[in-house]
Amino acid sequence: MALNLIKRLSSGTAPYFSLAALLLVLAYLMSAATEDSSRLNDLFLIIFGLGVLCLILLTAILIRSLLRLYRDFKREEVGSRLTVRLVSLFVLLILVSTTIVYSFSVHFLHRGINSWFDVNVEQALDDALDLSRSAFGIRMRTLLRQTKMMSGVLRDLPEGDLNHSLRELNQLSGALELSVWSIDGQLITASIENPAIMVPAKPNEAIFRQLQQQQDYISLDPGDNGELQLRAAVLMQKKLPSHPEDLVLQVLFPVNERLSSLGKTVQDAYTDYKELSYLRKPLITIFTLTLSLIVLLTVLTSIWFAVWISRRIVQPLQELADGTQSVASGNYNTQITVAGHDEIGFLVRSFNQMTQRLTQSRNATQRSHRLLEQQTNYLGAVLGSLSSGVITLDDKQFLKTANVVSSTILDINLQHRLESPLNKLAENQGHLQDFIQMIFVNIQQHSSWQQQLDLYPGKRHQTLMCRGTPLPSESGWVIVFDDITTLIQAQRSAAWGEVARRLAHEIKNPLTPIQLSAERLQHKYLPLLPEGQTEPLNKLTNTIIQQVDALKEMVNDFSDYARNPELQLSNCIISDLINNVLALYQSNSKHEISLLDGSPSLTVKLDSNRFRQVLHNLIKNAIEASEEAGLSVVVELSYDAIQYNHNKWLELKVRDHGPGIPENMISKLFEPYATNKTKGTGLGLAIVKKIIEEHQGIVWAENIHPDGACIMIRLPLEDSTP
Amino acid sequence: MDFIMSAYDIVKRFVLFSVVLLLSSGSIADGFKVQSAQVRKVGNGYILNANIEYPLTPRVKEALSNGVPITFQQQLELSHSTSLLVKLWQWETILWTSTLRYELRYHALSEQFVLKALDTGHHRNFPSLASALSALGTISSLNLPPEYLSDTDGLVLKIRSGLDLHALPTPMRPGALISTKWQLTSPWTIATWP
Repeated sequence: MALNLIKRLSSGTAPYFSLAALLLVLAYLMSAATEDSSRLNDLFLIIFGLGVLCLILLTAILIRSLLRLYRDFKREEVGSRLTVRLVSLFVLLILVSTTIVYSFSVHFLHRGINSWFDVNVEQALDDALDLSRSAFGIRMRTLLRQTKMMSGVLRDLPEGDLNHSLRELNQLSGALELSVWSIDGQLITASIENPAIMVPAKPNEAIFRQLQQQQDYISLDPGDNGELQLRAAVLMQKKLPSHPEDLVLQVLFPVNERLSSLGKTVQDAYTDYKELSYLRKPLITIFTLTLSLIVLLTVLTSIWFAVWISRRIVQPLQELADGTQSVASGNYNTQITVAGHDEIGFLVRSFNQMTQRLTQSRNATQRSHRLLEQQTNYLGAVLGSLSSGVITLDDKQFLKTANVVSSTILDINLQHRLESPLNKLAENQGHLQDFIQMIFVNIQQHSSWQQQLDLYPGKRHQTLMCRGTPLPSESGWVIVFDDITTLIQAQRSAAWGEVARRLAHEIKNPLTPIQLSAERLQHKYLPLLPEGQTEPLNKLTNTIIQQVDALKEMVNDFSDYARNPELQLSNCIISDLINNVLALYQSNSKHEISLLDGSPSLTVKLDSNRFRQVLHNLIKNAIEASEEAGLSVVVELSYDAIQYNHNKWLELKVRDHGPGIPENMISKLFEPYATNKTKGTGLGLAIVKKIIEEHQGIVWAENIHPDGACIMIRLPLEDSTP
Repeated sequence: MDFIMSAYDIVKRFVLFSVVLLLSSGSIADGFKVQSAQVRKVGNGYILNANIEYPLTPRVKEALSNGVPITFQQQLELSHSTSLLVKLWQWETILWTSTLRYELRYHALSEQFVLKALDTGHHRNFPSLASALSALGTISSLNLPPEYLSDTDGLVLKIRSGLDLHALPTPMRPGALISTKWQLTSPWTIATWP
């Protein structure tokens, strides 16, 4: 219950102001209660008790606040260090200032109250009192003697005259009242000057006791209104028959009005001073206690307020710190609640603006990044779809970009070598040495360049056409290169085709008249010649006829090469086709030509006549190669359906066990007249290549270890073909 | 140095004050005592004679000698007691109460103690404190209100006396209210009936 109350009181802002107001009221009440004439005097203790209760409550709340602050500090929470520093500073200021003010207040309180009292004044008052007493003393002694004389006079009188004599003595002496009493307090007779007073003032027991001890009594008596009168009482040494006890004469004398007034003044001043002097200590105690309580309450409230205000000051800074951390960790959307219109509020607003701007610029950057990415992807797609290789270098000759085709052309994965220096590309890739050397040489001239280059990757020959263009601001180079090997070969094939066509056309026509003329010469003039001379003519004309035949054969070959008939495509079972061709070569027992096992039902769409020519040319080529080398003719054919480059292909291999193909011939093997054989026109393999390419296929040659060579043919298969 | 001493003194006083405040309900010094109280029938009425002893503590005497007037009060309470449940439980109805207030002060000039009845304004002078207290403590022939005394069966007259601390000067009051040296009120004493 009490903990809940403390918890509720120490959270939020309202309790602080409520408590401050309560303490103000309490301070006012306490100060009012210490005033002399206040009605709150009697409530002082209650108010003070309330103050002490407040003090205890405040101490508990403050301890809780400080403990919470200490806990935050220990946990190193954001802002706790600054809060502790601020609180320490506030507390120091509060304690120092309050201690000084409190010490001076207490000091002045003591000095102020003590300064009311002065030794000289006190002495003067004592002296005044003594003087007054002395002044009255003389008069008292005189009056006592006078009373004794009256007593002597009355003593000798008979009882009957007592009353009368008393009145006379009263008039003579000027006394206020004369009365005769028995020693046990019985009134005998009296004479009172004031007719309004019926009964004389009775001497009290103390007077009677004193008189019983034979001591006369004289005293200064304060009256009802503060005026003074003198009371004298003596034993009369006389006994009446009606009253056997001793009689007492009491006389009340008036005091001179001036003297009475002076005496009263001295008495009042002395009493007031004495009382005030006596009350000095409790007065100081009360004031000091009140002051101490108020100061303690103020100090505790101030410290509590210091903790609160420090937390309030630090809170936006704490939020700012959190926000900054949040921004540092990449969350730019952080917004902080604006604390107020002071500098911290300005800071918070600036922070919010900053984060807004950051968010905007981040969004803009992201948009630009996306745009750039799109453009890069677009460019990548464009570059990727190019048939040319494109690479870019930076100003330090580091490889920046490379499209897919560049890797294919250079037969090296450039994507894995991005951001590496250009000269490192040639490591373990000897065939790139010339390419890189050419780039290094050409980029020295700082202008666009173009150069054709021959490379020898593996055992192939490759011709590249390279073009270099410097990028703007000399930030690097873009180098574009095309593999023009196929183009050059095509050009060469076209040229050969043109030559062949012309040969066929220009040479074939005169050959028949030449042959016919030679036969006519032989037929017409051979009978006319003598027996012994016919032989040379016969030999000469036969030579002409044979050579013309040979020329014809050659021209026919050229004609075949140049011929470009439309393909008569039909579905053929490849095994049947091969076997039909092989059957023509079975007659020669020295030749071992065989078809290895393959799928018997594999069907290919092709022009069967032209493909037979291909097979003839290849088998003939293999036989001739082995025979020329004096080796036994062993030719093996094999075929299979394969999956290559996402397409189905028929792969046909024709392998011999001859000497193999010289290395420098392999790349030119399928060009016309690229032969090292003694026989043949040099067009056999060129025709093979032509026909295969007409079928959208490819052909190439490989040497086989340990002996022989292999011609490889790939023809596209229909998708439905198994 | 003076500040430090003052502060120390104040703290000491504050602690003592708090302790006294907390223990104020503790033991009480020897206080006033009603020695005797008798009701006597005189004619048709009743009078009270009582004797009260006023042993003053040195603190009270000191205040008196320093000119502080001390107010005494004598409280009388007349009630009718009815027995319920065979004397196990008494039901009391207060019929009449009266407080007699006297102020005692020291008159320095005359060296007399002045006892003043605050209700009547009548004052008496005494040469000594003892005689003043003796006179104060003697209640003789105090008339009791006759309207309640037609039937004295079950009537109870109680008397007690004490100091009126609220009449003390303001600075002394808090200290006196919590100090045992000022708590001298006598217990209620039942007067005897004829």
